[in-house]
Amino acid sequence: MDEKHLNVEVVDSTLREDAALFEPIRRTGKSFYITLLILGVVILWAVWAYLHQYRDGLGVTGLARPIFWGVYITNFVFFIGISHAGTLISAILRLAKAEWRRSITRSAEVITVLVLFFGVGNILIDLGQPDRMLNIIKFSQFQSPLLWDVSSITIYLAASSIYLYLPLIPDIALLRDYGEKWRWFYRILSLGWKGTERQHHLLEKGIAFMAILVIPVAVSVHTVVSFVFAMTIQPMWHSAIFGPYFVAGAIFSGIAALIVAMNVIRKVYHLEDYLRPVHFNNLGILLLVMTLLWFYFTFTEYLTTYYGGEPIHMAIFWSKFTGRFAPYFWGMFLFCFIIPLPILSFKRTRTPMGTLIASISVVIGMWLERFVIVVPTLTNPRIPGEMVLYFPTWIEWSIFAGCVAFFILLYMIFTKIFPIVSIWEVREGREKSMAEVQERIRTYLPGIGVE
Amino acid sequence: MHRWGMVIDLDKCSGCQACVVACHAENNIGIIGPEESAKGRTISWIELIPYIEGEYPHIKARLLPRPCMHCDHPPCTKVCPVNATYKNEEGLVAQINYRCIGCRYCTTACPYTVKYFNWYAPQWPKEMKGSLNRDVSIRTKGVVEKCTFCSHRLLKAREKVKAEGRDLLPEDYIPACVQACPGGAMYFGDLNDPFSTVSTLSRERRAFRLMEDLGTEPKVYYLSEGM
Amino acid sequence: MKINRRDFLKMGGGAGAAVALGGGFWKWSQFPVAEKPNAPGVEKWIPTICGQCMGGCGILVRVIDGWAVNIAGNPLHPVNRGTLCPKGIAGLQGLYDPDRIRTPLKRIGKRGEGQWQPISWVEALQMVTSSLKELRKNGESYQLMVLGGKYRGLMRSLWERFLEAFGSPNYIDNQFQWEGTPTEGLFLTQGIYSTPAYDLENVQYLLSFGSELLESYWSPVQVLRAYGYFRRGKPGQRGKLVQIEPRLSITGIKADEWIPIQPGAEGILALGIAHMIIKEGLYKKDFASNHTFGFEGWTDENGKEHLGFKEFILSEYEPNVVSKKTGVPVDTVIRLAREFATNQPSLAIGYRDRPFHQMAVSVLNGLTGSIDTTGGILIPRNVPYQAFPPFKKDTIAQKGLDKERIDGGKGLRRVIHQPYLFAQNVLSGRPYKPKALFLYYTNPLFSNPKPDLFSKAFAEIPFIVSFSPYMDDSTHFADLVLPDHTPLERWQDDPLFLNNGFPVLGIRQPVVEPLYQTKATGDVLLTIAKLLGGEFRTALPWNDFKEVMAYGFKGIFEAKRGDVFGLQFEEAWTRLLQRGGWWAPSYKTTEELWKLIQERGGWWDPLYDFGEWERIFQTPSKKFEFYAQGLKRLASSPLSKSNGDPSFLPHWEEPKKMSDEKLYPLHLHIFKTMAVTGSRNANQPWLSENFGPHLLERWITWVEINPHTAKELGISEGDWVWVESTFGKIQAKARLYQGAMPDVVNIPFGLGHASGGRWAKDLGANPYHLLGDDLDPLTGNPIQRSPRVKIYKA
Ligand SMILES: Nc1nc2c(c(=O)[nH]1)N[C@H]1C(S)=C(S)[C@@H](COP(=O)(O)OP(=O)(O)OC[C@H]3O[C@@H](n4cnc5c(=O)[nH]c(N)nc54)[C@H](O)[C@@H]3O)O[C@H]1N2
Ligand SMILES: Nc1nc2c(c(=O)[nH]1)N[C@H]1C(S)=C(S)[C@@H](COP(=O)(O)OP(=O)(O)OC[C@H]3O[C@@H](n4cnc5c(=O)[nH]c(N)nc54)[C@H](O)[C@@H]3O)O[C@H]1N2
Ligand code: SF4
Ligand code: SF4
Ligand code: SF4
Ligand code: SF4
Ligand code: SF4
Ligand SMILES: [Mo]
Repeated sequence: MDEKHLNVEVVDSTLREDAALFEPIRRTGKSFYITLLILGVVILWAVWAYLHQYRDGLGVTGLARPIFWGVYITNFVFFIGISHAGTLISAILRLAKAEWRRSITRSAEVITVLVLFFGVGNILIDLGQPDRMLNIIKFSQFQSPLLWDVSSITIYLAASSIYLYLPLIPDIALLRDYGEKWRWFYRILSLGWKGTERQHHLLEKGIAFMAILVIPVAVSVHTVVSFVFAMTIQPMWHSAIFGPYFVAGAIFSGIAALIVAMNVIRKVYHLEDYLRPVHFNNLGILLLVMTLLWFYFTFTEYLTTYYGGEPIHMAIFWSKFTGRFAPYFWGMFLFCFIIPLPILSFKRTRTPMGTLIASISVVIGMWLERFVIVVPTLTNPRIPGEMVLYFPTWIEWSIFAGCVAFFILLYMIFTKIFPIVSIWEVREGREKSMAEVQERIRTYLPGIGVE
Repeated sequence: MHRWGMVIDLDKCSGCQACVVACHAENNIGIIGPEESAKGRTISWIELIPYIEGEYPHIKARLLPRPCMHCDHPPCTKVCPVNATYKNEEGLVAQINYRCIGCRYCTTACPYTVKYFNWYAPQWPKEMKGSLNRDVSIRTKGVVEKCTFCSHRLLKAREKVKAEGRDLLPEDYIPACVQACPGGAMYFGDLNDPFSTVSTLSRERRAFRLMEDLGTEPKVYYLSEGM
Repeated sequence: MKINRRDFLKMGGGAGAAVALGGGFWKWSQFPVAEKPNAPGVEKWIPTICGQCMGGCGILVRVIDGWAVNIAGNPLHPVNRGTLCPKGIAGLQGLYDPDRIRTPLKRIGKRGEGQWQPISWVEALQMVTSSLKELRKNGESYQLMVLGGKYRGLMRSLWERFLEAFGSPNYIDNQFQWEGTPTEGLFLTQGIYSTPAYDLENVQYLLSFGSELLESYWSPVQVLRAYGYFRRGKPGQRGKLVQIEPRLSITGIKADEWIPIQPGAEGILALGIAHMIIKEGLYKKDFASNHTFGFEGWTDENGKEHLGFKEFILSEYEPNVVSKKTGVPVDTVIRLAREFATNQPSLAIGYRDRPFHQMAVSVLNGLTGSIDTTGGILIPRNVPYQAFPPFKKDTIAQKGLDKERIDGGKGLRRVIHQPYLFAQNVLSGRPYKPKALFLYYTNPLFSNPKPDLFSKAFAEIPFIVSFSPYMDDSTHFADLVLPDHTPLERWQDDPLFLNNGFPVLGIRQPVVEPLYQTKATGDVLLTIAKLLGGEFRTALPWNDFKEVMAYGFKGIFEAKRGDVFGLQFEEAWTRLLQRGGWWAPSYKTTEELWKLIQERGGWWDPLYDFGEWERIFQTPSKKFEFYAQGLKRLASSPLSKSNGDPSFLPHWEEPKKMSDEKLYPLHLHIFKTMAVTGSRNANQPWLSENFGPHLLERWITWVEINPHTAKELGISEGDWVWVESTFGKIQAKARLYQGAMPDVVNIPFGLGHASGGRWAKDLGANPYHLLGDDLDPLTGNPIQRSPRVKIYKA
């Protein structure tokens, strides 16, 4: 154990105070291992699928000329989009000093950091010559939007990691001091956190700084992802609103993913006290706003295309509206708009369950959206060609499933190592914010407390 | 400085595909069997593009041999993250096979869909391997390839010309497809030379380029009598 | 290789001259001359003749370290001038086909089971000779049949000589249509049964009645080069092409105008056009009066009055009648007639339809006098080979040759061969059953309508030998395979002619060592002759085929005409010399000729003698016959329903109704594409991969359906469908094509092999399974026109 003799009572009371938050770290049930096992199998299966692809080439996918991009690129855009859940939302909420954020920021930030790997990973999986990955560094050609992506995602990953890490420090220290296992590990990571005033001050400053930094980075990331498409002159990609459209979509899917994650955590770890209906209600409102925004962008995008009426664009337009991609397109519309809109519009249905349904729908819908952006354009090139239809193969689905499973697995493991709800922030909220809030309100609301 | 370009006279072209097969033979294009072909994975650096419009019996049909346009403003090179495809100083849009990471960004960016990807490693039965063209490298799986204007022939011609101590003549450098074309429909040469056949033809009344409105400035010109 | 760049420039040509003459852009100067031809790593370019089709193009094969690595056109060869067609380039894949037959094979197991035992040549030759000796001993020599395919030259003479010495009248030609041009039309009007030359370069107005010039002319590169020249070779004059055809073919796409027409109705349209030309007096009167027979009414030696063509046509083929039968609007008929008659030189070219329809097309050329003129129909001279030495037939041979041919004809040389009747007669055993069958360069189980009939016939023949280097559908059913060298491995001559009538002799020489244990069939025949002994020694006195060639080429030296291939401008030059009346060839001795031919790729006689009317018109009247007197020369078979004058004049005959129009509502139209034709190159991936460019189809057989028709039938793009006739059904991929007439569906030839290696076997379907045994009474050729089919989803 520790060199210092711990005061049992202190330990006890510290742990008892937010016992539910320590619980996942202290105890691990059978179901956890079963889930782990299942996920592990899926992941191994995906690895096997990938090895297959690695050995034989991308021929094992359903891709062909001219549909050079498919599920992997869809996943790339999708995962990067999901990554906007975390850091961006948490940063905005932090900067807005939304008190209710305290118990949700962590779970959001983790999503960002983890999912980014899968975004980038899908690009790498999509490479025909993964061995030559490092050529991107060796022979960088900065005219290529792909390199803008590489850069901005790297920065985003770094920033998000720091942004995740900073608020973790006090909690790590807690675990170092009161936890039962891996104290050495927490000691290293806690960077000597003692909880002094000065340290708190520095930490707050750091977090605030990162929160400000991370917002433009996040916006840039998805803008740049959209540029991958928009910078070509391909019909229905070469669009100026793609940047904001993608960012909005990213936040949209990000919030949805967050709501899903929170629901799961809440149920699995019995955190009903921490993740309350109000959180879901608030996030639900945010999601509602994004639903409308998404609709607005989608509407403008397609309306401009329709009015332009260029045959080459219209071919794609109709393939989405009535043609081969109609099921995907209308599926997207159903999942992104028709289902979530009514659920989110009413307070009565903005319950944890209601928002969960809406969010799952949005996540599916947004994946479809990415697919409907990537594939139809490639299926209808300017030059007439062979009739080629793209159906992802089992390899692609397996790798997709593997990515999702791996993400869940990492997320689960995270919850086993670190508190998924920021303990110190919750406590701080409990202790300080009442006063702080009153203080703050006083500064801008007339008639209250201005003596 | 040369600026290599091609002219294809659609009035003379018979749609025979000699250019297509000549290119296959010259550039060691892999044999894509029936199953893979059915998936749309054939590789054909130059291909006949059918434009069939209208309804029976009033049909406007056209067959367009389409190599790489070697655009002066190529959308494909801009997007390559590793400079594996680039435009050289003579206007040839080149492809460096060993550098390509296979991201297929250039393939999606090219508005003429002229880039091809090696979904698998190209295959030949062992009985055929010895008859591959030794002047052209064999691609590996996972890289992009496309018409190079037979730039290996330019290299060879340069060597030869140097050895003979003379200037490059127009007939020293002729791509395989142009050489084969039975209709005499294809011309190749230096667009910077105002008196070259290609220059002269490119200024003809019948001349047009594919999707000129995209601003890609293709260096392949087509000639056609208003049809 | 003698000529290098410097010589070339010295000779004064240069690129400009060559281009001006309309040649390819690839120059002789470009290929490196090997100093030490066989040193490793050294590359050579060896001139030879492409063997991928009957086109006769000269090629240069680039050989490095004993491997053929590329094929380019031979710029000196006048047929192709350095250019090629897709098949030519794919010749490499014919050579290096991994599924080639590598040694002689003896069948073990049942016929068609595909069980083979490799044997030595000694054993194989013994097997053949002993059974041949047996036949002769039993006086059954005539029961040896040779079924020969598409090839020409001395090899053909050799086979005929062999059979003559052996005593069999049964050389059966399976190249029943190789010419791809309406040969019977030429026979009826000009009395010549061979392929004419069409001076396409110089035509101003080309009226094609279903001739797919740009896809399946007999010499593809020649016609493609001519097409380029026809379009833009003459400053300020763009030749006009009108394609009359039930399907929008590539030729139709490339034409200025496509006139869809009911299948088989082209002949009526031709007659309608003739009607208008005569009615408006647009025909060439001096030609009609000086060089034709039967234009006006006439009286024969018995004093019998005969109907003239003019009168007949004027009374029978009014434009509105024609329009009703063809579906072509009246004004189009009138316009075509005027355009055809006034845009000179104009040429009408038909396809292998029934003889009288062919004649209807030929007659248009008679009306405009486009015969033996620039831009007209020319009758080429033959290559002047030295005739084979005389020999005395022994009694067995004499007896055998006196027998009736199995297909019902008499004598060794008949104008018309009937492979189909052969199969029927084999089955019926009348006049007799064959004892042995040799298959040379042909694949009848694939290339004949009702292939099943041939399969059954094959089963009746006790001994079948195939000489094919590939395991094709027919070879698969053989008892013994004596694999030939492929064209790039062997010696062969290739006589043909140019569009402008110049005779050309190409020489095929080995460019690589034979890859496997194969032997050139010519050499094999000579060996067998040796083994048979007796009169064979005088009949076939040569040791190998190369000697046969050297022997034949003596005639060329002695003809004192022409020259070995030279540079392009030599054409003009030689002409000059000819006019000056002296002949100055590049060779002084036969040895020199032989050597130069090998170096340059061949010999030609760049001169056409106009106005030799006895050569042009070999009809009984020695004139162009509007009234086909020559028909009487074809003794057998009822020619026509009636026997009056109209049956000797070009006229329309309703085809026999083959099947119920309600049950089988659609016409079937079978066509060829440039890349894959026949069975010769189905095993070459570069070609199968480019089977149908206009629909981007590869590797499979498709059926073109008009989109409206498809909608009615509930068939959508890409569906797999059954196409069924009364004779059989095949599966094909439905392609909706605006170029298909509403009541006609189109299926390409070429794929659908039951054998033939990894790239041919079981890919696509053979539309010949849908054809029946409707034989043309005059030619005995199967009529492939407009059988009816129905289509439904598979
Ligand atoms: N590329 C290539 N070319 C070749 C050959 C080759 O092997 N490869 N082989 C050569 C040989 S052997 C030959 S015989 C020629 C054959 O060349 P073509 O004479 O062109 O023969 P096909 O293509 O069989 O038939 C010509 C056209 O007639 C059509 N036809 C059938 N019935 C009718 C009808 O009622 N009306 C009309 N208008 N058309 C009808 C056929 O469907 C086809 O489209 O090709 C030669 N050219
Ligand atoms: N399905 C179909 N049937 C057709 C036609 C068609 O286009 N398609 N066309 C019709 C016409 S016009 C004709 S002329 C006939 C001709 O039909 P075929 O006489 O059968 O001629 P090819 O199709 O050229 O096939 C010749 C065969 O010769 C063999 N062969 C190839 N190279 C060599 C060689 O170097 N030496 C020897 N000894 N053999 C070789 C190959 O195995 C090939 O199967 O077919 C007719 N029938
Ligand atoms: S045609 Fe396509 S591949 Fe060729 S240069 Fe232009 S953009 Fe690049
Ligand atoms: S596929 Fe290769 S050439 Fe094309 S953009 Fe990617 S790295 Fe560059
Ligand atoms: S120029 Fe060369 S590489 Fe390009 S299509 Fe022609 S043959 Fe192929
Ligand atoms: S080779 Fe020449 S004639 Fe044939 S398709 Fe190509 S461009 Fe046209
Ligand atoms: S036309 Fe015939 S002979 Fe000429 S290159 Fe083509 S296949 Fe060979
Ligand atoms: Mo033929």
